[in-house]
Amino acid sequence: MSDTVATGAVKTKRESTLGYLLPALLLIAFFFIVPVLMLLMRSVLEPEVGLQNYEALLGSTTYLRVFLNTFMVASIVTLVSIVIGYPVAWLLAIMPERWSRIVLAIIVLSMWTNLLARTYAWMVLLQRTGVINKTLMGLGLIDTPLALVNNLVGVTIGMTYIMLPFVILPLMGVIRTIDPAILRAAALCGAGKMQCFLRVLLPLSLPGIAAGALMVFVMSLGYFVTPALLGGTSNMMLAELVAQFVQSLVDWGMGGAAALVLLVVTLVLYAVQLRYFNPARGK
Amino acid sequence: MTQPFLSIRGIRKSYGAVTAVKNVSMDIAEGEFMTFLGPSGSGKSTTLYILAGFQDPSGGDILLRGQSLLSTPSHKRNIGMVFQRYTLFPHLSVGENVAFPLRIRRRPQAEIAERVKAALKLVRLEGFEDRMPALMSGGQQQRVALARALVYNPPVLLMDEPLSALDKKLREEIQFEIRRIHHETGVTILYVTHDQEEALRLSDRIAVFSQGEIDQIGTGPELYSNPATRFVAGFIGDSNFLEATVVESNAGKARLSLGDGVMVEGVPLHGGSAANGKASLMLRPERLSLSRASVPSGISVTVRDITFLGNNVEVSTATPAGVDLAVRLPFGHEAILSLARGEQAWLTFDTASAHAFA
Repeated sequence: MSDTVATGAVKTKRESTLGYLLPALLLIAFFFIVPVLMLLMRSVLEPEVGLQNYEALLGSTTYLRVFLNTFMVASIVTLVSIVIGYPVAWLLAIMPERWSRIVLAIIVLSMWTNLLARTYAWMVLLQRTGVINKTLMGLGLIDTPLALVNNLVGVTIGMTYIMLPFVILPLMGVIRTIDPAILRAAALCGAGKMQCFLRVLLPLSLPGIAAGALMVFVMSLGYFVTPALLGGTSNMMLAELVAQFVQSLVDWGMGGAAALVLLVVTLVLYAVQLRYFNPARGK
Repeated sequence: MTQPFLSIRGIRKSYGAVTAVKNVSMDIAEGEFMTFLGPSGSGKSTTLYILAGFQDPSGGDILLRGQSLLSTPSHKRNIGMVFQRYTLFPHLSVGENVAFPLRIRRRPQAEIAERVKAALKLVRLEGFEDRMPALMSGGQQQRVALARALVYNPPVLLMDEPLSALDKKLREEIQFEIRRIHHETGVTILYVTHDQEEALRLSDRIAVFSQGEIDQIGTGPELYSNPATRFVAGFIGDSNFLEATVVESNAGKARLSLGDGVMVEGVPLHGGSAANGKASLMLRPERLSLSRASVPSGISVTVRDITFLGNNVEVSTATPAGVDLAVRLPFGHEAILSLARGEQAWLTFDTASAHAFA
């Protein structure tokens, strides 16, 4: 009897939660799921019914090189972001609250600054007559300006800078949950600084690394602005290819196919992360 | 002259203007169970952390077998420690947690397996090697922590309130285990607690900490029967305090006036001994006697409450000045039957069991 009442109460609660979610669900349905389905349709319907768009995309070395380039840039950016972001996240986690709040504010503020402005700023800094090249030449370290922009180097620098907060924030959250007493225990067990890091801190922060890496990798795969502005023509990325198909060539079939390949890759990566690195599931 | 096994010499620790540890010195014998007992903020944990190498002292030295430990970093001190919080590595199984110190020391695999097994047997968790720490109770986790701290045979084991997160029954069970492990291994243990019962139950000797200093070091019975300061008297065992005036003192014994013409003689006096000085008279509740008939040297009190506590009965009384005095009488004591709330009674005590603190 009382069980029935309890179940009833739970049901009512779930229904009302669904009610709250409805506007968001409708928004996603109309502005994400429906367009994605339309794109899928066009990719198999235009110019004629069949999978010829996917064949062309996956069969051509030119397009494969774009895929390869996209994955390479995303991998490098992810790796560099984690290597640079980890010490920052660690410091933020252990520094006194009032200091970490200021540093955090600076990091978040940079995220809120206009993306184009930040990317153009890097263009100015990295170009042949930019501050970096001028300084290095002034110091006599180099004779001719380094090619820092319109190539992979420029894309990596610009995108790493933009992606850093997305690594630092989740990592900091995870590192903060690690009890410093555990590291003290490791030290008394005989572990020096390096051993503490490799055997305790790093494995315990793995969920944060996985979350940050996934975020950065997925965002990098579909990034457009920075590769378009700082990259060269020889190392085009997938988003640029999609834009080219749709804007220049007005080929919605190919554009849709490229976009969907990107989406599928993203979903697969997300599923892997959920399966193997979700802290809520335990180990 | 034999060299002490572990010697703490004049350790001081200050943070800016705040002094956490003032001047702590003691010698600890090999295989001894020494407890640092004191309230929070008394400097006992700081002293332990200095021993562990997590903090550097502002002055003083620590010698293990005559060698200073201070210049050795934590991970090279080869000291074992069990912490207040659960500090098992959550990503490693119980077996790997215990193996951790041996892996760091690059011991051969066969030796690791053997010693992990022996250490888990010591804490009575045989066969738990593959369990993850998150799936174990708090008591089990602290046992694993104990195994991890002992598996590399450290000369000294530090324990920082390891049982404070456990409930009372479990605490007593593990106290018993710690005693057994101490006997079996013969390891020197430094144990920090704020629980006097725990200290009395476990220790060979107890160092009572108060405000960054050691008030007294001694065995439980010594601290109980002959406390050096009012603080120790109040911290070990139950005690009543009465304000008194020292009339005269001679060879450590004093004649005290308790007011209203009540005088007591032959009370051991600790601290300063100036005549006519103020002093606190400490009386153990179980050393007090009650009688309904007027006694010449007795303290007149009013009975406030009578509480049955099993094998004894606690009688709450108050002096005319309003000072509460607890009296503990064995169950069945004749005075209890005739006492009732609000009645007048007289307290008497053996002056040799009382202590006065100037």
